[in-house]
Amino acid sequence: MEVELTNLSKKFGDVVGVEALDLDIRDGEFVAFLGPSGCGKTTTLLMLAGIYRPTTGTIRFGDRIVNQLQPRDRNIGMVFQSYALYPHMTVFGNIAYPLKLKKVPRQEQQRRVEAAAETMGIAHLLDRRPGQLSGGQQQRVALGRALVKEPDILLFDEPLSNLDARLRLTMRGEIRSLQKRLGITAIYVTHDQVEALTMADRIAVMNLGRLQAFATPDDLYERPPTKFIAGFVGNPPMNFLEIEFAQENGAMQLRSESLELGLPPEFAAAAAAADGAVTFGIRPEDISLDDYGPVSGEVFVVEPLGRDDLLDIIVGTEHFLLLADPKRKSRAGDRVRLSFDMTRAHFFDPRSELALSWK
Amino acid sequence: MAAAGALTNINTDSMSGRLLLALRNGLLAALAMALLAFLFHSLLRPMIGSALVEETLTITLSRLFLVLLPIAAYLAAGTAVRNMEERHKALILALVAVTAVYALVVGAQALLGAGPFAPRPSLQFSARQTDEGILVEALEAGGAAELAGLQPGDIITAIRRDQVTLTELNQRVGLAEEDDPFRLRYIRNGEQDQLTVRAVLQTGVDNSAIVTGLVIALVIASLSIYWPGRTLPYILLAVSLLPMVVGYLWLIIATFSYRTRGILPLDGAGNIGGLTIENWGFLLGEDIAGLEFSIWQVTLNSFLLAVLMTAVVLLVSSMAGYALSRMSFAGRKFFLSFTLILHGFPAVTLLIPIFFILLNLGNLPLIGQLIGFNTLGGIALVMVAFDLPLGIWLMKGFFDHIPWDMERSALIDGASRWRVYREIVLPQIRPGLLALGIFAFIGGWNAFLIPQTYSIGAGTVNLPVFLNELIDETAPVDWNQVAAVGLFQLIPIFIFFVFAQEYLLNIYAGGTKGSS
Ligand SMILES: Nc1ncnc2c1ncn2[C@@H]1O[C@H](COP(=O)(O)OP(=O)(O)O)[C@@H](O)[C@H]1O
Ligand SMILES: [Mg+2]
Repeated sequence: MEVELTNLSKKFGDVVGVEALDLDIRDGEFVAFLGPSGCGKTTTLLMLAGIYRPTTGTIRFGDRIVNQLQPRDRNIGMVFQSYALYPHMTVFGNIAYPLKLKKVPRQEQQRRVEAAAETMGIAHLLDRRPGQLSGGQQQRVALGRALVKEPDILLFDEPLSNLDARLRLTMRGEIRSLQKRLGITAIYVTHDQVEALTMADRIAVMNLGRLQAFATPDDLYERPPTKFIAGFVGNPPMNFLEIEFAQENGAMQLRSESLELGLPPEFAAAAAAADGAVTFGIRPEDISLDDYGPVSGEVFVVEPLGRDDLLDIIVGTEHFLLLADPKRKSRAGDRVRLSFDMTRAHFFDPRSELALSWK
Repeated sequence: MAAAGALTNINTDSMSGRLLLALRNGLLAALAMALLAFLFHSLLRPMIGSALVEETLTITLSRLFLVLLPIAAYLAAGTAVRNMEERHKALILALVAVTAVYALVVGAQALLGAGPFAPRPSLQFSARQTDEGILVEALEAGGAAELAGLQPGDIITAIRRDQVTLTELNQRVGLAEEDDPFRLRYIRNGEQDQLTVRAVLQTGVDNSAIVTGLVIALVIASLSIYWPGRTLPYILLAVSLLPMVVGYLWLIIATFSYRTRGILPLDGAGNIGGLTIENWGFLLGEDIAGLEFSIWQVTLNSFLLAVLMTAVVLLVSSMAGYALSRMSFAGRKFFLSFTLILHGFPAVTLLIPIFFILLNLGNLPLIGQLIGFNTLGGIALVMVAFDLPLGIWLMKGFFDHIPWDMERSALIDGASRWRVYREIVLPQIRPGLLALGIFAFIGGWNAFLIPQTYSIGAGTVNLPVFLNELIDETAPVDWNQVAAVGLFQLIPIFIFFVFAQEYLLNIYAGGTKGSS
C-alpha cells in the first residue's frame, strides 16, 4: 500500500509536533523516521494510525484519503515501544484480540494466532500472561499481534529501544526479513541511526518537527544534504570546522586558525568562487594517522571501542575525532601527524547549513 | 516541626543515636496506649455509663490498656537496640532507655494522680478468709467500716445476696467509686444481720507498686534483648492488639449470655455461667423491646442500600474518573477542584437543605416514588452523592496510571472507544474498583446518619438505625441483645473481607515497560 503525506501538520496548542510534512512512500517499502527525541516522529505515526487528527494536510493510503477514518478502519498494525500488551489477557488472548474484534470465526482465530506465534517463535508461550515474559518475548508478542490481522501497513514506534544490545541486533534482522517476506509497507520510527541505516530502504530524517531529508541510507551518508544530517548520521559523528579558502602558488587551500590543507582540483574552481567563511566537514574514518601527514596534533583522549580506538586529537585549538588501529597503542599526550582524505570532504553554508555540492 | 524532623532522622550508628531511638519508640508506644486507655476510661465509659453491665467491660479494657502500656513501651524500646552487634551494650542501652521511660511514666502518673499515686477506694478494715466467711480482724479508727457499725469478729458472708470471698470483696471494692454503698451480710454472735458500708477514697503512694513496676520493666527490657528468634515484633504486636481482641471477644460472649462482668458471662446468682441463645431470638422474628420491625425487613433494607450504593458509585465514579483522566473538555479543571472541595464538605451541614430537596423530588411524577423522602432510593441517592467525589478522584488516579499506548493499541486493533474502556481499561483497574466497591458497600451497609435523618417507619429502617432504636429507649438497655444485633450486622462485612482480601492483594503484574 502506498502512503502519501501532503502538507501534514500537528499542533498541540502552541507546541508544534509536526510541521508541513510531505512524503511519498512506495508500496512494500521499509521507511525509517529518524530524528532526535521530541522531533515529531511519534506524532506523525499516531496521525497515520488515526489516533491524532492532523491540524492540516492529508494522509492518503493507496488512492484513498483516510483523514476521517477511525483507527480500526485503516487496517494497520502497530508496535509500541512499551509493547502495550494487555496484561489481563494471555499471550493467545493478546494476539487473538484484533481477530476477535474483526469477528473472525473461532477456529480461524485459533489457526491464525498459532501461525503468527509460530512465525514469531513464541508458540510455547501462548498460555502465559505478559507479566511472565521477558522483554524480548513481549516484543515478539506485540509484533505477532500487529501481524495477525494481515495489515496493509505496519507502524513501529522505537520497538527495540527497551531491549538489550544483542537482542536488538537479532530483532533488527528478523523484523527486516519478515517485512520483506510479507511485502507489507512499513514505517519504522527510531532515534538510533544504526537501526535506520541498516534496516530502511529510505530514511526520513526529521528535526524540530520538520522533514530534513528523505533519501536512501547511502545517499544520506555519502551526500548529506544539510549539516544537521551530516552530524546526525554516522557514528562517531562528522568533524566540523569553520574555515576560509585561500590561494597559494596557484593551488587552493582551506585555512583556519589551526590548520591549512590543500584542496583537490575538483573543489578548486568552486572554492575560488566562494566568499567568506564555510563549514568544512570530514568523517572520522577519512582522517588517518600518518607519520608523514601534513598536520600535526596531540592525542587528547583515547576511547577504546574494541575493533578501533576512538581518538580525540587537538590540532591547534580544534578537536578532531578519528579512528585508529588499537595496535598503535595510542596514549593521551602522544604527538601525532594526520592526513586528511580531502576527496571526501563536505562543505556547508554556515548560515543556511545546506550542503555546498561542488563535485 | 524541627524537633519532629530530628526525631525521625535519628542516626542509628552511634550509641547515643540508638539510645535516642529506643527512647523514642518507648515513648511513642506509651503515648499511644495511654491515649487508648484514656479513650476507654474517660470518653467511652461516661458515654454508656448508664448501663452498669457494660461499664465492667470498658473498665476491663482501660485497665488492660494500662497494664499492657508499659509492657508494649518496654518491648518497643528493647527492639530498637536489639540488633546491635554487642549484646551487653544493647542490654545497657535498653535498661537505660526503659528506666527513663519508666521514670517519665511514673512522673506523669505522679502529676496526674494516677496509678500508684491514685486514691484507692477502701472500706477501711482488715480481714481474713475463714471457712464460715470473711472474718473482720481490725477496723481503722474513724473509718468507713467503724462508722457503719462493723465490729472486729464479725463474719461477712455476702454482699446483698451474692456470696463473696475476701478476694471477690477486694475486687469489688477496687472497682468502686467514692461513696458507693456495700450492703454487707454478716454474722455476729450467731445472729445474721446486714449493714451498709460506703467506700471512701484513701490517698497515699503505693511504693511497693512503683518498685515492682521498675523490676518488671527491667526484666522485660532484658528479655527483649535476649529473646531468641524473630518473634519479638509479633509479641509486641500481640500485646498491643490484645485489648481489641478482648473487645471482640466480649461482643461474641455477650451475645450468648444474660449478663456479663468484664468478659465473663454471669448467671442470675452472679456466678460464672448462664449461657443462653435467647439474645438471638430476634432472628426468628421475635419482637425486640416492643419494636415492631421484622429483622429481615431491616436487613433487606440494609442490603438494598449497600448494593444500590455499590452499583451506582462504581458506575458513575469509574466513568467520570475515566473522562476526567483521558478526555479534554471545557470545565475539566474546575470540575476536578470542585469535586475535591465537595469531598471536604461535611455532610451534616447539608442535612436540612437536602431534606427539602428530597421532599420536592418526591413530587416528581413516576420517579418521585423511588427517590423522594422516606424512600430507600432517596436515601441511596443522598449517600451516593456524598460518596462520589472521593470515588471519582480515586478512579481518576487509577486511570491516570494506565499507559496511553495500551488504549491506542486497542483502538488500532479495531476496538471502539467504548469497547476499549470495557475490555482493556476497566480490567486494569480491577483492584481499584474492588476497593471502591468494598468501601461503598460497607458505607451503605453501616450507613446511619442519613437513613436516620430521612427515614420514618419500617419501610426504610436499616440495621444501624434499628440498633440505635434499641439503645434509645428510656427503659434499661439490654446490652446483650444489642450485642447480638451488632454482631449480626458485622457478619456480612466479615465475609466480604475474607473474600475480597485475596482480590485486593492480587494486583496484576504489568505487561508494559517505560513508554516515551
Ligand atoms: N499529546 C501531546 N500534547 C502536547 N504536546 C505533545 C503531545 N504529543 C507530543 N507533543 C509534543 O510534540 C513534539 C513531538 O513529540 P513526539 O512526536 O512524541 O516526538 P518523538 O516521538 O520524535 O520523540 C514534542 O515537543 C512533544 O512535547
Ligand atoms: Mg516518540
